[in-house]
Amino acid sequence: MENNKSYFGEIGAAIKTLATGMKVTLIEYFTPKITEQYPENRKTTLHVAQRHRGRLVFKRNEDESHNCVACTMCEKACPNDTIKITAHMEEDPETGRKKKKLDDYQYDLGDCMFCQLCVNACNFDAIEFTNDFENSVFDRTKLVCHLDKEVYKGGSLPNILDGGAPLTIGKFNTKTK
Amino acid sequence: MFDFSIVTKWFDALLSQTLGLPSFWTILIECVLIGLLVLTAYALICIVLIFMERKVCAYFQCRVGPMRVGPWGIFQVFADVLKMLIKEIFTVDKSDKLLYAIAPFLVMIASVGTFSFLPWNKGMHILDFNVGIFLVTAISSIGVLGVFLAGWGSNNKYSVVSAMRAAVQMISYEVSLGLCLICAVILTGTMQMSGIIEAQTGPWKWLVIQGHIPAIIAFVVFLIAGNAEANRGPFDLGEAESELTAGYHTEYSGMGFGYYYLAEYLNLFVISGLASAVFLGGWAPLNVGITGFDNLMNIIPGFVWFFGKTFMLVWILMWVRWTFPRLRIDNLLKLEWKYLMPLMLIVLVLTTCCVAFGLTF
Amino acid sequence: MKLNNIELNFDNFASEMAKLKNEKHFDYLVTIIGEDFGEEGLGCIYILENTDTHERCSVRTIGKKVGDDVVIPTTLNLWNAANLLEREVFDFLGIKFLGHPDMRRLFLRTDFNGYPLRKDFDESPENNKFPVTDEPESDFTTEWNLDRSGNLVATQHRLFDEDDFVVNMGPNHPSMHGVLRLQTVVDGETIKGVYPHLGYIHRGMEKMCESMTYPQSLALTDRLNYLCAMMQRHALVGVIEEGMGIELSDRILYIRTIMDELQRINNHLLFLGTCAQDLSALTAFLYCMRDREHVLNVMEETTGGRLIQNYYRIGGLQDDIDPNFVQNTKTLCKYLRPMVQEYMDVFGDNVITHQRLEGVGPMGLDDCINYALTGPAGRAAGWHNDVRKNHPYGVYDKVKFDEITLTGADSMARYIVHIKEIYQSLDIIEQLIDNIPEGEFYIKQKPIIKVPEGQWFFSVEGGAGEFGVYLDSHGDKSPYRLKMRPMGLTLTGAFDKMLRGQKIADLVATGAAIDFVIPDIDR
Repeated sequence: MENNKSYFGEIGAAIKTLATGMKVTLIEYFTPKITEQYPENRKTTLHVAQRHRGRLVFKRNEDESHNCVACTMCEKACPNDTIKITAHMEEDPETGRKKKKLDDYQYDLGDCMFCQLCVNACNFDAIEFTNDFENSVFDRTKLVCHLDKEVYKGGSLPNILDGGAPLTIGKFNTKTK
Repeated sequence: MFDFSIVTKWFDALLSQTLGLPSFWTILIECVLIGLLVLTAYALICIVLIFMERKVCAYFQCRVGPMRVGPWGIFQVFADVLKMLIKEIFTVDKSDKLLYAIAPFLVMIASVGTFSFLPWNKGMHILDFNVGIFLVTAISSIGVLGVFLAGWGSNNKYSVVSAMRAAVQMISYEVSLGLCLICAVILTGTMQMSGIIEAQTGPWKWLVIQGHIPAIIAFVVFLIAGNAEANRGPFDLGEAESELTAGYHTEYSGMGFGYYYLAEYLNLFVISGLASAVFLGGWAPLNVGITGFDNLMNIIPGFVWFFGKTFMLVWILMWVRWTFPRLRIDNLLKLEWKYLMPLMLIVLVLTTCCVAFGLTF
Repeated sequence: MKLNNIELNFDNFASEMAKLKNEKHFDYLVTIIGEDFGEEGLGCIYILENTDTHERCSVRTIGKKVGDDVVIPTTLNLWNAANLLEREVFDFLGIKFLGHPDMRRLFLRTDFNGYPLRKDFDESPENNKFPVTDEPESDFTTEWNLDRSGNLVATQHRLFDEDDFVVNMGPNHPSMHGVLRLQTVVDGETIKGVYPHLGYIHRGMEKMCESMTYPQSLALTDRLNYLCAMMQRHALVGVIEEGMGIELSDRILYIRTIMDELQRINNHLLFLGTCAQDLSALTAFLYCMRDREHVLNVMEETTGGRLIQNYYRIGGLQDDIDPNFVQNTKTLCKYLRPMVQEYMDVFGDNVITHQRLEGVGPMGLDDCINYALTGPAGRAAGWHNDVRKNHPYGVYDKVKFDEITLTGADSMARYIVHIKEIYQSLDIIEQLIDNIPEGEFYIKQKPIIKVPEGQWFFSVEGGAGEFGVYLDSHGDKSPYRLKMRPMGLTLTGAFDKMLRGQKIADLVATGAAIDFVIPDIDR
């Protein structure tokens, strides 16, 4: 691959491009850095998008009751059997009608691929994803959650459900406080 | 200016006269002590360099580098060294056992050997022959052997390709490296390391100033060729991790790999040290001919000057390494044989003319 | 596009296909879909495009039964792109292509039992036990032909000579962008041949889709080329919506177009980064990653995902755009433009980069079409193959943009196309971002989605080429056959042609500049 530029012209142009590159890196050497200081910043400057899918939780009404009627729509929608619902039939003492009653809503966080199909399938607005992402544990069995038994009240971080610190596009918050 | 030879002479006198040891024992004790000192300095400088590389690289890349181990991450390298020391050393079944085993040591010998030539301070040379510069280039060539044997001995296809590349690269670039040093020898009139630096003491006597245009060109070419000789980016074709995984040291683990890693950084230091000694005056302080200023500069000890200059050059080489992409083997050879070597031959003639007609400062 | 197949039988297939190519100028083989047509037997659908008029047609042929085998004449002599595509069909359906010199399996192990996309495939674990031994590998390939009396005869071809120096680039190799394995025959540093081995992360997505409902199958597309999650899902929802005849609101179309372009910027930034990294310019890589972070932040606020976006669904979008989306996107566009110049300064304009990429992996216009080198790689050779222009979807017919084509036909031109396409995407976004119309973001669908009977093919312009989805529905709630045209498969097929006579370092440079992502090839 001999190109037609002259031997000396090539040198000049080459050195110029190399110098441009050196200049860019030199400027970057002195500009503020971009590394966000997680986990030092986890309670201060960390931003997590509100719509981020961290894990599935039951939506709770004000009296901490949930809306799940054990219709198993979410279980059927799930592509990889993450959700397992057990329920039994129970007679309502007031109306006398038979109604399904939820025994256990088992959700395996370790199997979930966060496709949101269960939330889409739910007709009763009973489940939602939260952006609580600090889910790592040392034992896989701990990832199996029973959503009806736990009352989820925000994650391990303050304000995370609102997104944490504000986000500015084009800037990094590298501070820890 | 503090002359370190006072210390060495006092120590020699202590052993041979005060204690009355025979000369054999004197020399043995001195040799062992110096050997220990060299190796300690070698390891310490390496650790500093590795840490510096990680931080400087990070800063060029908008990152902050290691931050976890100790404040500002300063103990990171110690943790790394510890990790490397406790790693299992395995051998490759079908390797050439002898070559595979001795290759890392050859690389180490070359880099410790050249390291010993560096002039740390006035009167503080470990090896100071009258053909010093010549010997440096000779010893540094042993490194090629280590790299080549490692690649050949590990019986790995990537390693073989890498060894061929590294060998051809290092042998080529030794030509211009040698020519640069010859320019310096012509300008100073000696091959002895201490003599070269003595010639650079005094106002405006650093070689890049004394020898002006030819010396500056020789200095720049020395840095380029030295970078290639030390197998560092953008000339790290031997390693070329995106092409040949890790090149000639793919099959080494634990300290076998560690030796190559150390040698790479020390070669960087040696190249910068040689460049600063030969072209920037080594421990010679910056003198401008104004007595007050010169006296002030002379107060700063020589090894501070030496380390200051050397680490500045190391920083520049890191800057280059973290800016440019890697060359291809044919570009690399083209750069040497089509550009650098002819250029250096011209510079050699120019230097000779300058010296002959007294056109130096 | 709804397929109206030209039906060909075994006897007139070869001649008619040659006519289509040579007389009607259908010179771009989009994809070959192998399908088990039930009682009709095994067959293939060929989708072809005329590169002058961008007209598309589809050809269906049913394989001829010879004993237990099914055979179809090869089209390799017409389109080189058919090489890997026919091997894929052979792998999944066991159709033998007569005259194809390399009828080895492509994705599955050579000792795999059965052909998974046949409807009578035995899926029981006993049929294919989890292998605990290395894959047996032969240095020979087989060519099948019919002799005069109509019997199948095999011819063996040797892949490597006795003293060939074969270097395996991959499957675990720093520059292979995943687990691709290129068996490379070298002579010194010069390459004599490249044989790709695929399937190291083959997940059988097409087979999985056949037992999944339509909404469930959507979850898989984000996991193909993980840098083009939006575009791939766009293709799949596109083909389903076309099949169901759903009319989308303008708002949906606008948002989808903007998201596609954001995703393209994301993909191209990562491409520019990894391209630099493969040439060992790690600094340029990190600059790209730094700015990609901002793109991801903008998208994450709306979609909730960074890599796996999950944003499109059948009938619209998962959720409306974030309240700050418009403002964030504008800030992003403003921020990115000078940054792209920075990549050029530090890497793209660098003389070393030019030396490394110019004239490397050359592939002229005719070859690009013949090997179906779509996307930036094809446009670098001057092929007008932008699906957004040729077969507009979303609101691409309403925005003004010029298709970027260069004539360099080498790796450098491919790099420059990517740079220019970032600017182009920014332009498109800026045209749309202020004009997102009000309206529904989701058109309510029935709980169980069924697509009426028929066959459709829908293409989008992915980050690295054309991504198409073929859907054959029998009116059920899951597809009868779903086939994806991956962006990278044809790119991989072209390696051998591009790299013969080049250096090992050029293989890395070509791979860096051609932007293939393995999960997309393997599916």
